[in-house]
Amino acid sequence: MTTYILRRALQALPILFLLSVFLFGVVRLMPGGPLAQAERNPNVSPEQLAALRVRLGLDQPLPIQYVKWIKAFVLEGDWGYSIKFRRPVAEMIWERVPATLILFGAGFIVMLLFAIPIGVYSAIKPYSFFDNLITTFSFAGQSVPVYWMGLVLIVIFYLNVQLFPAGGMYTIGREGEVLDLLWHLVLPITAMSFSWIAWYSRFLRSSMRDTLNEDYIRTARAKGLSARMVHFRHALRNALLPLVTLIALDLPTVFGGAVFIEAIFAWPGMGRLFWDAAKGRDYPILLAVMMIYAALTLLFNLIADIVYGFLDPRIRYD
Amino acid sequence: MKLKVLTLFILLGLMVGACGQVPVASDPAESGGGTVVLVIPEEPAGLNRYLADAAIVYQVSDASVIGLTTPNEKGEYTPRLAAELPTVSEDQRTVTWKLREGLLWSDGEPMTSDDIKFTWEAVSNPNSGAFNQTAGFELIEDIETPDDLTAIVHYSEPYVGYLGQFSAALLPRHATGNPEEMTTWDYNMNPVVGGPFVVTDWRSGESITMERNENYYEEGKPYLDRLVFRIIPEAASQTALMKQGEAHVHLWPGEDKVDYDAIMEGTAAQQLVPGIWNMAIDFNLSRPGDDDPSASEPHPILGDLRVRQAISHAIDYDTLINDVMNGQVQPSTSPFAYGWYQCDVPRLYNFDVEKASQLLTEAGWVEGPDGIRVAEGALYAEDGTRLSLELQGYTAFEPLERTEQFIVENLKAVGIEANIQNYDFSIIFGSFADGAPAKLGDFDMLIYDRGYYLEPHGDVVDSYHSASIPSADNPDGDNSFRWVNPEADAAIEAAGSTFDQAERREAYCELARLIQEDAVQNYIYLFQDGYGFSSNLEGYTVSTWGSMTWDVQNWKYKG
Amino acid sequence: MTDTVLASEPIFSTSTRPESLTELIWRRFRRHRLALLAAILLLLMVTLVLAAPLSRYSPTDQNPRNDFAPPSAEHWFGTDELGRDVFTRILYGGRISLAVGIFSTLFSLAIGIVIGALSGYYGGWIDNILMRITDTFLILPVVFVLILFSALLREMPALAEFRNSVWLVIVAISVFAWMLPARLARGLFLVLREKEFVSASRALGASDARLIFLRILPNSIGPLLVTATLEMAYAIITESGLSYLGFGIQPPTPSWGNILESAQIHVYRAPWLAIFPGLMIFITVMAINFIGDGLRDAFDPYVIHTEK
Repeated sequence: MTTYILRRALQALPILFLLSVFLFGVVRLMPGGPLAQAERNPNVSPEQLAALRVRLGLDQPLPIQYVKWIKAFVLEGDWGYSIKFRRPVAEMIWERVPATLILFGAGFIVMLLFAIPIGVYSAIKPYSFFDNLITTFSFAGQSVPVYWMGLVLIVIFYLNVQLFPAGGMYTIGREGEVLDLLWHLVLPITAMSFSWIAWYSRFLRSSMRDTLNEDYIRTARAKGLSARMVHFRHALRNALLPLVTLIALDLPTVFGGAVFIEAIFAWPGMGRLFWDAAKGRDYPILLAVMMIYAALTLLFNLIADIVYGFLDPRIRYD
Repeated sequence: MKLKVLTLFILLGLMVGACGQVPVASDPAESGGGTVVLVIPEEPAGLNRYLADAAIVYQVSDASVIGLTTPNEKGEYTPRLAAELPTVSEDQRTVTWKLREGLLWSDGEPMTSDDIKFTWEAVSNPNSGAFNQTAGFELIEDIETPDDLTAIVHYSEPYVGYLGQFSAALLPRHATGNPEEMTTWDYNMNPVVGGPFVVTDWRSGESITMERNENYYEEGKPYLDRLVFRIIPEAASQTALMKQGEAHVHLWPGEDKVDYDAIMEGTAAQQLVPGIWNMAIDFNLSRPGDDDPSASEPHPILGDLRVRQAISHAIDYDTLINDVMNGQVQPSTSPFAYGWYQCDVPRLYNFDVEKASQLLTEAGWVEGPDGIRVAEGALYAEDGTRLSLELQGYTAFEPLERTEQFIVENLKAVGIEANIQNYDFSIIFGSFADGAPAKLGDFDMLIYDRGYYLEPHGDVVDSYHSASIPSADNPDGDNSFRWVNPEADAAIEAAGSTFDQAERREAYCELARLIQEDAVQNYIYLFQDGYGFSSNLEGYTVSTWGSMTWDVQNWKYKG
Repeated sequence: MTDTVLASEPIFSTSTRPESLTELIWRRFRRHRLALLAAILLLLMVTLVLAAPLSRYSPTDQNPRNDFAPPSAEHWFGTDELGRDVFTRILYGGRISLAVGIFSTLFSLAIGIVIGALSGYYGGWIDNILMRITDTFLILPVVFVLILFSALLREMPALAEFRNSVWLVIVAISVFAWMLPARLARGLFLVLREKEFVSASRALGASDARLIFLRILPNSIGPLLVTATLEMAYAIITESGLSYLGFGIQPPTPSWGNILESAQIHVYRAPWLAIFPGLMIFITVMAINFIGDGLRDAFDPYVIHTEK
């Protein structure tokens, strides 16, 4: 078991290396500099711009910049300074972590709370009225651009019905209150989880139906277990296994979707940090955010593999 | 099981919904105080004016960080922390400032002339990283502080902008740090100030809160208790907050005033003031894409003056300004469209489709099979060349996109094909090293808005003087047209040789006339800055020379 | 694996004439009424956007004095900020959006199938290297990388001629969308290469390329078609998302995404500007998803069992 985990972790290293080269390349080959706003500013002189360029190390060759960056990033834990904010990137990202975690955490809980029961029901009663309804809803969920959905929600629930706030994490003056936070979460989570509930319940439906057709379920039936027990104990458990893997695989997409949610609902998370940084070509932030998301995804995939192994006795480690 | 979960959620939703109602405007206190919420589209990178990389910094810092003087809405410097405008010596090299008596920093420490001296020391330190509003500091040889209120500034040569020298910010010596480490000062996000409000909370990506500065020098001001700047990137969400009265001031609303006011139904209204951003088309006189950045080889199409004139004649300025831009902009014909240097030169090549067609035909461009003209005896273009040009602007700015699309249709009507090629902001305004098309001379027509502040001369030299044509040896030049006109050079030099505003203005007007005549640049309109103000607020004045918060100490709730 | 059964599945038939696989699939697809409806809807949509030039307006003709006109008999979907006919623009935008959907799907499937086929057919170190690359791409935060990559493509001096071209967006989307088809194809090839009909062909001296493309590939068509629908839905949504963030197809070329993007700002003044393009995306992607569902059921061997 330990060797298995170690081996998987070692396999991840070349991937991380490939990734860092790739990301650094994409970020730094992008034409256009981070100093454009300053260039346009009528109060900034050309000499000052040149000095700024040297100061930020933007005048050195790319490979040297890469080596410097990756060495500092991995070995020294130094993610550099934001070009725009002149603050340590690690500190800036750390500030955004709670908002992002809250959004993802709450989002996943809501997603699973809805997706599992819906998926199970649809699998047990395929092509029933409810199943068809859910199918329709689930396709609707996957077919709406997230930001459009967000806009529609704001217009309905903020402008027309005035039930939920349009954005932000807290009402001014109520920072830190849990109820206020939950109330602000409703619309973003709705926009975010709509498509995912659909996706996971559909996935659960089909993987449960696969399981229900497998032999050992038939055996269980033959052994006289009640139908209910069969569905829940065996089928659900086996259907949940691939779900763990799927969620790990979907993480990059979920992270991406959060950019839209965070933009529309003014949520102060990492996705928005990235988007702002992309507009301003703030290289250190862009690299750090992508590296973190990629590393997180890798980690979760590893965990999913291991969990998979734990739960599924048919997989052995050698 | 599923039903239970559902019920639970509905209950939870109801509970949560019941515990909060969408807040309507905060209760204005009797004194006119209370909290004002301002929506801003992006987060400023700190409030240190000398490190300000974008306009958003001004919009927020003006509520807190102030200097010795401030330009008022007429563009005249008025004293702020200074007791009065400074006195100047005969030779114009010594400027004497007096502080107001009894000034305190927001942390209660006394403000003295030594802080003026420190500001100079810090900003002029070559390692400080300061780059914004630093002009003139390098000319200062020394600052004497004979007493706590007096600062005597010695310049190495007369400096025309001395009134604004300390207008951006006064830096407190006791609450900043080593000038060499300016970029990482705590001051940058939590400044000790002399202005009306002090930052008390900065939530990255979310909001910036400022409380009343009890040590502000104006008796009884500011009237308001608290400002909350909310960072809302999405225009539709910003408008929603204003409409619900949850926010009171709206920076740069996306909608035009006519539509904005209609949407707000009286909750708020947009206030317009001429801004400094002046929309124009730049023509490239030199062949694009060659390695030679100079104008020695003319642009195959635009090298011919008649083509540039025809393009200028083809644009329907009135419709563009009144209907496409819905009156949100003002007509403009020169780079000097506002301020003390304003020149109202009449439009030389006005909207005249027939004239445009005639000029093009004269210039050897005849109508082709698909309505787009082709060269037949043109000055520089080979016969058969299609009259097709690129129109380059920057992305993600809706008014510009609207303008470009309208102009493309105008040009099509006279047989010119224009293809919109928008670049990212960071490219268009990038440097020579970044490969910015304007710098490399690799473009046909550029369209974007540019502006001058109170002292335009440095930019004028960079943009129009023949010595400012950008090249590897001269990467900072901005004469992207590759325009060489000795008369223009003379006018620019004349404007730079005197302090007399009337004379300088005269010279600039001559330059404006030449720009029109040679049709190197076609000015179209001047943007007005728009700010949405809640109908509950009063006391504000919008200014070309200040940000939305430049007079925040005067704002009040209506009783 | 569900898909493995397909190749060896005996064909059940209700008629006396033996039914071909295509006929069986079509018959079973038709039974999914929503999918059938979706297919008709999509066909209608394609016809409509192809017929765009029949509109009596041009997508670029402006009438600034008639801006923000609400929907009427004259302008079915109203007019936009320049007084252009929104219906016409949406038809032309649909051409772009559907093209992005179709070509991104083709490209990403092509890349994916080639990589997956090589990987699955040859195995060994080729498989190892290709799958490491696939894994690397799989963990990339897609939207983030797409934002940067599309900006990179657009601003590269070498690609200056294609700056405003739809192909840039198509390439950008495809480059980060081939991984799932690749994995799927690899799985299929791993199984199919062991099948008798493959070894039989090999024994007869068929080349690898012939085996991959003419023998194995046609037998993997079911799962790949289903993946194609997913890819297409993804591409259309992604294009609109990129446009929303300002990194997609640039005006004046209309796409559903950028029509929607420029409408956001006017959502209160002229809600129809945002509603109609949003609806078009919604209907199209939903139709594609339903077709995918219909195909999945039609190719699903278990449904074949239960049907009997």
